[in-house]
Amino acid sequence: MTAPLEAAEPAAAQAAGPGDERSTRRGTVRYALSKAGGALFSIAMVIVGTFFLFRMLPGDPVRSLAQGRNMTPAQLDLERSRLGLDKPLIEQFFQFVGDTLRLDLGMSYEYKRPVLDLIGERLGPTLLLAGTGLVIAVSLGIWQGTRAGWRSGSTFDRFSTGTSLLLWSVPTFWLGLLLMMVFGVGIGPIPGIFPFRGIESVDAPDGFAYVLDVASHMVLPCLTLVAVVYAQYLLVMRSSLLEEVSQDYVTVARAKGLRDDDVRRRHAVPNALLPTVTLVFMRVGFVVGGAVTVETIYTWPGLGQLFYEAISVPDFTLMQGTFLLITVAVIVMNTLADVVYHMLDPRVRSA
Amino acid sequence: MRKWLARLAALGVALLVAGQGTTTALAQEPTAGKKIVRVGATQSMDSMNPFLAVRLVSTSIHRWMYGFLTVPDSKTLEPSADLAESWEASEDGRTWTFQIREAKWSDGKPITAEDAAWTFNKIMTDEAAKTANGPAVENFESVTANGQELTIKLKEPQASMLENPVPIVPKHVWESVTDMANHDAETYPTVSSGPYFAVEHKKDQYVKLQANPNYWRGKAKIDELQVIFYDNPQAAIAALQKGEIDLIGRLDPPEFKAIQNDPNIEAWNTDGRRASYLQINHGATTTDDKPLGDGHPALKDVKVRQALHHAIDKQKLVDEVWDGLAKPSDGSIVPPMYQDFFWEATGDTKVTYDPARANQILDEAGYKKGPDGVRTMPDGDRKLEFRFSIHTDTPLEDKLAEYLTGFFKEIGITLTTKKLDSSKFTEETGYTGLFDIAISGWSVNPDPEEVLATHLCSRRPTKDGEGGGTESFYCDETFEKLYRDQQKELDRPERAEIIKQMQERLYTDAPVIALYYTNDLEGYRKDRITSITPIPEDKGLLYGGSGYWPFYTVDVKAPGAGGGSGDGGSNTGVIAGIVGAVVVIGVGAFLLSRRRKSVADERE
Repeated sequence: MTAPLEAAEPAAAQAAGPGDERSTRRGTVRYALSKAGGALFSIAMVIVGTFFLFRMLPGDPVRSLAQGRNMTPAQLDLERSRLGLDKPLIEQFFQFVGDTLRLDLGMSYEYKRPVLDLIGERLGPTLLLAGTGLVIAVSLGIWQGTRAGWRSGSTFDRFSTGTSLLLWSVPTFWLGLLLMMVFGVGIGPIPGIFPFRGIESVDAPDGFAYVLDVASHMVLPCLTLVAVVYAQYLLVMRSSLLEEVSQDYVTVARAKGLRDDDVRRRHAVPNALLPTVTLVFMRVGFVVGGAVTVETIYTWPGLGQLFYEAISVPDFTLMQGTFLLITVAVIVMNTLADVVYHMLDPRVRSA
Repeated sequence: MRKWLARLAALGVALLVAGQGTTTALAQEPTAGKKIVRVGATQSMDSMNPFLAVRLVSTSIHRWMYGFLTVPDSKTLEPSADLAESWEASEDGRTWTFQIREAKWSDGKPITAEDAAWTFNKIMTDEAAKTANGPAVENFESVTANGQELTIKLKEPQASMLENPVPIVPKHVWESVTDMANHDAETYPTVSSGPYFAVEHKKDQYVKLQANPNYWRGKAKIDELQVIFYDNPQAAIAALQKGEIDLIGRLDPPEFKAIQNDPNIEAWNTDGRRASYLQINHGATTTDDKPLGDGHPALKDVKVRQALHHAIDKQKLVDEVWDGLAKPSDGSIVPPMYQDFFWEATGDTKVTYDPARANQILDEAGYKKGPDGVRTMPDGDRKLEFRFSIHTDTPLEDKLAEYLTGFFKEIGITLTTKKLDSSKFTEETGYTGLFDIAISGWSVNPDPEEVLATHLCSRRPTKDGEGGGTESFYCDETFEKLYRDQQKELDRPERAEIIKQMQERLYTDAPVIALYYTNDLEGYRKDRITSITPIPEDKGLLYGGSGYWPFYTVDVKAPGAGGGSGDGGSNTGVIAGIVGAVVVIGVGAFLLSRRRKSVADERE
């Protein structure tokens, strides 16, 4: 989605010429604006796509709502008109687009509440869990990746690369259940000390103890989340650092007599960080979607769980709403990543 | 540097101790001295509004919160007094008068016939209020109240009148609700008339209920009942093993096996209320008798259906598919736990597992075997190849399909499995008739009228494919007449006789073939729960039953006498302490790295 928009840009950047900071900034703004335009176009396409995608799904939503219950044709018709499904498709489409633009995602079939409210309730827990997970995974990945890349082939390198790849290939669901059994229920001498349901205890205490309560509930979901994904940060960091190690400026820094640690931290790492930054920004978009699997294993009251519930009902408006939110978040974050990358790396600007 | 570490360590220890102290104190405070029962559920509530809630878990919880006119007796399951103290029906069975008990809502206001009348009238007049229990008042002509006397006039006589599933809500709370469709009823504490009232609900997390001191039978033995939701069954089982919940119901055989040998858990295995059966497309039609769907023509022949019935080894299905945790069916759609209404085939009517007999029936009817061993239609060369519709992601149904395929192969019939997701499945097997044989089942209430009604002509879809609720596309004059007869018959034993005849009709005509009645599988912590009375009291159901009785009678060990809650408290402390320490170390590490960085800056 980035290619055609980028093409128009370099000319402007080059024309600005080096040293002219104001025009460089203007270039960045223009670049950001064109990116934003592209993102808006993508979002529009997503809205249109969502409408048709969820109407192509098999099964009549009203009938699946009536499942296991006796509903008369009159009741079904009533339900249909309540959900606006009795109007012609084209009318439904314009209605849907209009409502979506007004941020009205409709009423959930199953919960009989506005989808936006439901999503709002779930956003906090999801951001907390997936956000914490991302921060830990990124820090761990960068830290291990840096050390592994700096001394590639060392025992530490082989150990951390091996472990992370092993965890990367483990199915999340299986790992989650395993962690739950070992650290939640307890096996043999290992006591099951960590809770494995929800975000807080049913009889949650108040004040600071509440924070600790939530923190303890986050341990297992976070662990699962981090274990499965941190490998990608580690590998990206490791490989980009490997490229830097043999660069001349590193040799120069070493020749200056700098400590090995300083060469790494102050010279090599900043240059190697770029690909990781991009990766992180792209992942931030997915944070909103949460981790459906992890949230379902641990009954975490986030968006992932909501999406899962919506699919199992099936609750079409809710599915539509969460789907829209997740895609839009990814698009927005990707756009941001493009812009930030543009600002961070002068090579992109002048290339 | 060393100083830093020492400081950090001291801080960590201090926090660990403090954390442990405060959380233990705090964690125990809200639960101190209270008797709490925690029930696990793998389905979350769809709505706290009893006019809208349709999920099983929601209707169960509402049964604990709201009174009904009558409820099944805890011993016999016959209708017995609840909010209605006494009742009588007029000669023609069309006017019923109920005397409402002089009791109080949980907020202290008196319960009157006005409350009941308002509830019924609301459902009769407000389309949105019909969502949960619309059909239950369909036959009502008018409902009026006079003091404690409630009069219901019916359009047609209805013997199942005493099985009304509508929870009575307090008029003084609910009459201000204008938009029923969007009313979520999340106001706490709720005003209830049942043994419990709700005090808190966190969506997809838990519901907390407290014992209602004004309950007319007297306050429950426990103080608080919590229903805690788990998205995945394994987590719920693990929680029971750990002691985080005290009871869980509706288990599958594999889940049941997991808890069977736990010394602290009572594995509950009794007769269940569910019948599993095959639904056979014997020529699906609409309400105006137009053919519908693409069912195999051979299945229109009752002989073929009976041959299929003879070919199924139900005992083997129970042993292999259901791990022996079910009863093979020699009856129809009403399971044996309902002794009054259960019908069992005997003598000549009884269909036994006998593939030779099945082959003989098919041979005589002219379905000849071809060279490949598959039978063909007598008047053509269409092969007897049937589709078997099951749900996706249901291992037990997969296994069932394998066995049935084997059984039918023995009699020259090919069965192919067709897996459908649940909404598609409902559509094809309930509305469009695009199936040959499908798996189905029904959890039967103490009054079997509803499950019998699913085989009425009127339940078939209209010509536009609307409405319905049919379980078989059945439309049979004998069955219809018997249904009308039982509706009018107010004498219970007489009515039970008619209901048995209806089951016999379903058994011999075979639009459905009952396979087995699955057991009610549950588990509870016997180190916590000291007594719980099932419904019916003799080997009945706990959570799996449709009633408040087990949860009204349940009692647990007094808090402090060991068990879950005490351990929970100290555990929380330890965890909290650990987390605290981790946070401290994390912050410490951060500070440390910053310090090193500043040193490095100085050096450069």
